[in-house]
Amino acid sequence: MNHAPDVICAPATPEGTSALAVIRMSGRGSFRILESLMSLEPGRLEGMRRKLGQVKSKGKILDSVVALSWPADRSYTGEEMVEITCHGVPAILRDILDALIEHGARRAEPGEFTRRAFLNGKLSAMDVMALAGTWESGSGAEELSGKIRHEVRNLSELLSVVEEILEGDIEFEERFPDSGGGSIEAAAGEFLKAAEALRGMTAILEGRIRVLIMGPVNSGKSTLFNLLAGTETALISEAPGTTRDGASARITVRGRELLLCDTAGTGGTGIDREASKLVLESIGCWDRIAWLSPSGRTPPPDSLKCGAMEVILVSSRSDEYPGTDDEDWLSMSARTGEGLDRFMELISGAPGNTSLEGISNRLLNLARGVSEHISQGEYDMAAILLSEARAELKVILDEGDGFNLSVERALSRMCVGK
Amino acid sequence: MIFDVIVVGGGHAGIEAALAAKRLSCSVLLITANLRRIGEMSCNPAIGGIAKGTLVREVDDLDGMMGLAADATRLQFRMLNRRKGPAVQGPRVQSDSRRYAEFQHAALLEGGVALLQDEVTALSGPTDYLNGVICRRSGRIEGRTVVLSVGTFLGGLLFRGKERWRGGRSGDISSDLLDSDLRRRMFHVERFKTGTPPRVVAASVDIHALEAQESEESDFSFSFRKGSISSRVMPCYITSTNAGTAEIARVHMDSSPLMTGRIEGTGPRYCPSFEDKVIKFPERTRHNVYVEPMGWGSRHLYLNGISTSLSRRAQEGMVRSLRGFEKAEIASYGYAVEYGYIHHSDLTGTLRARQSQNLFTAGQICGTSGYEEAAAQGLLAGANAARTVRGLDPLRPDRMESYLGVMIDDITARGGNEPYRLFSSRAENRLHIRQDNADRRMHSFGMELGTLSEESDERLTATLAQERMIRQHLQLAGPGGVTGEKLCRRPGAEISDLRKSIPLLREMDKKILWSVMLDEKYSGYISRSRRKMESRQRASGVRLDSIASYMEIEELCWESREALEREKPATLADAGRVPGVRPTDIEGLLIHLSSRCSTWNDTDGPEERKNLDVPAG
Repeated sequence: MNHAPDVICAPATPEGTSALAVIRMSGRGSFRILESLMSLEPGRLEGMRRKLGQVKSKGKILDSVVALSWPADRSYTGEEMVEITCHGVPAILRDILDALIEHGARRAEPGEFTRRAFLNGKLSAMDVMALAGTWESGSGAEELSGKIRHEVRNLSELLSVVEEILEGDIEFEERFPDSGGGSIEAAAGEFLKAAEALRGMTAILEGRIRVLIMGPVNSGKSTLFNLLAGTETALISEAPGTTRDGASARITVRGRELLLCDTAGTGGTGIDREASKLVLESIGCWDRIAWLSPSGRTPPPDSLKCGAMEVILVSSRSDEYPGTDDEDWLSMSARTGEGLDRFMELISGAPGNTSLEGISNRLLNLARGVSEHISQGEYDMAAILLSEARAELKVILDEGDGFNLSVERALSRMCVGK
Repeated sequence: MIFDVIVVGGGHAGIEAALAAKRLSCSVLLITANLRRIGEMSCNPAIGGIAKGTLVREVDDLDGMMGLAADATRLQFRMLNRRKGPAVQGPRVQSDSRRYAEFQHAALLEGGVALLQDEVTALSGPTDYLNGVICRRSGRIEGRTVVLSVGTFLGGLLFRGKERWRGGRSGDISSDLLDSDLRRRMFHVERFKTGTPPRVVAASVDIHALEAQESEESDFSFSFRKGSISSRVMPCYITSTNAGTAEIARVHMDSSPLMTGRIEGTGPRYCPSFEDKVIKFPERTRHNVYVEPMGWGSRHLYLNGISTSLSRRAQEGMVRSLRGFEKAEIASYGYAVEYGYIHHSDLTGTLRARQSQNLFTAGQICGTSGYEEAAAQGLLAGANAARTVRGLDPLRPDRMESYLGVMIDDITARGGNEPYRLFSSRAENRLHIRQDNADRRMHSFGMELGTLSEESDERLTATLAQERMIRQHLQLAGPGGVTGEKLCRRPGAEISDLRKSIPLLREMDKKILWSVMLDEKYSGYISRSRRKMESRQRASGVRLDSIASYMEIEELCWESREALEREKPATLADAGRVPGVRPTDIEGLLIHLSSRCSTWNDTDGPEERKNLDVPAG
């Protein structure tokens, strides 16, 4: 029985005709599959090798290729891996892939190579997020990743300093006022400065924000969705290429790209109920949820509050139903346009919450909160915010709870072959 | 006669243990080597502090005695951290140490606890199920359960300069035979160290040269019950060490038992000896010394801050180098004590010893320090011993609900390499675990434990009823449509704002209103930290018995598969401790298990699914 994860394969270059194209294959057994397709003796691809040859399947020559092989300890994925450079003709690519699959490989899912690299310890959570970000933004991943890594470490050290002084102050200062190590205000200021620096660096990494429209049946979700997705020019500035695909649409609001998705209402029956259950289960990948309910009568289910996503409460159809006194709910009508400006601001305002930028944004807010609480003599609150900041840093530094969420999300943004 | 509960030791732990067992209607015998030193404050004459003061209130809300005794004998009160937020405030009193001990002695007699002056030399019967204890003079005494709260007496060794002698405390014998008996019974006994500063004759000190620290005016009492508050007030004084003090310590360092390696046990970092301070902070010559009266009419002063085990000559020199102490006479010299404690791997979360069905431990023998920590453990150990006698399961307190729970969890599950002291930062849920809501927090645990008197239950039930009413009123909106709950969450909100906005609240008790207001102010953070804790517990308690082989789990990296296959950890938490296993692998395991879980739902019975549940307790 083979213990290794299955062998995956996928084209690593864009679709379409080109001079050359590259197919990647990873997982234990990759060498054997290619050796057999290229009629090589078993073991010829072990190690770092480069082989020129022909890929044959069922007696037919598919193409002349260059095969590059990497052993597990030196490859991108941390598994044995090959790259097949062939001619960039879609039919050839398809044939070679088919042959690989026939011999035991399977099609990779989007981001699966990177996922394996992550699981095998080749990439940290931060690397993955930075990679995802740079692939979307087009800037240099290596350099940025290094800078960010440095700044995150710095921030982490400064956090320890503030924590140390603060906790020492809480436990001992009153009784032994001469025992302190330094000024708590100064330390909190340094921490804030570093959080600002990190925020600046990660800003360019931001990708698309994912917004889900949810709420009970008949709360006006589709009206809102149609409004945003259908008549974008009337409402949204700089909106090139707004596309509509079933119940989801890509739109641009205030210069930010959004993926907007309509859902089946909660509280429905039959297929609606099943669909809304499915949505609730996959909720981790969304940055933001617009929860619609006329007069704010139906609060969002608790499962929404557990995740890291932000929930925007909308008291919808405000032209027909009275609003609510609760200041947490935004009164809005898709018909009259009441509250719509504010809504656009909310869904586009801050970046996605599981991205590096989202995390650094929260760190910055936390750092501001810490400084404020300390100056107001609320050390207990400052301590809580510091521990939240610690948890956020752990996410980036690949040390603790919940970082998988961020990684999964980053991976889901990648295309096949990465 | 067979006693239900035999308590060994008459310190802060033993007193609460005996009285708690008594409240559960058990017959209780307390054995101590010296009846005149019951309830003695062996170190500084003070009760409370940050986290510790909150713990005293928790003890009080389980009907313990410490709070009443501290209120009745206090000489000075301070609310520490008054300007650092309500959740980290800690009440602290200076105590009249002699009257405190007398109060506790009287409480034991009034409570009907039988007292015996003797030395316990061994446990009696098989370790798994003891039948009593063996005493030096009285021979075997039969008991259904035993609580060991022997403080620093277990194999106690005292050190001062080049002197070294056996003893549990200056002037008392040590329990060497009991120490050997525990080791013979295969208990894992380790050594810790602690120390105490010299006391000086008050009349020999120029008190006017010192800065006085007066008591705060306050109607605060530790106890929520009707007790008396002492009207006697005495100030403390502050002086400080100087370059001369450090120089004398340095000159005599070669006679220090700490520095020459004659003491093996580890001491507490948070309460360092003066020698430690001189060595660790050579650049700082000035350290504050708090001069605390030992009691009303006492002729002695306690010098908080210069705990030392240097020679008598060194101590005289150091004390006389302090401003105001030029002609001071030392009444009793400081010393260090090294003693045995039971390693945490032998303790359980109910304070019952792992190897025994009826042996309980409390206080320094569990590796902790502090009067308050000892008292709280004593209460739990005594109540659980009594429950065992009654055929009830012993209980463990919840870490998210009290400092008692935090401490018990810390000392039994994690242990440490220095004497354990409670800090507010040890509590993940510290915005909830406050001193002002101790009564409301502890009520249900107290009722379950069975230590609460009917009177206390009635008082607490009334408080909870009042809380419910306040919460109802807080849902009302005042002028401007802002509800009371929202008002509570505004920064800097005061009671007066609430009362102005919602007139019904004027009828409510001010202290309870303030406390509920804080609950509301912090509610978002509290529920979040509770959710986090729950998911962590759910995750780390997941049992891994169902995994036959790690080698086929795709979610794990290769090295981890091998490491886990080798170690075969019992739970997910254990898996995380296997060297080489990364957090990613833990997440991977969780993903793997949850995918398996959904198939079980379809195919297998509930027995299989249980493997994913959190283990009880």
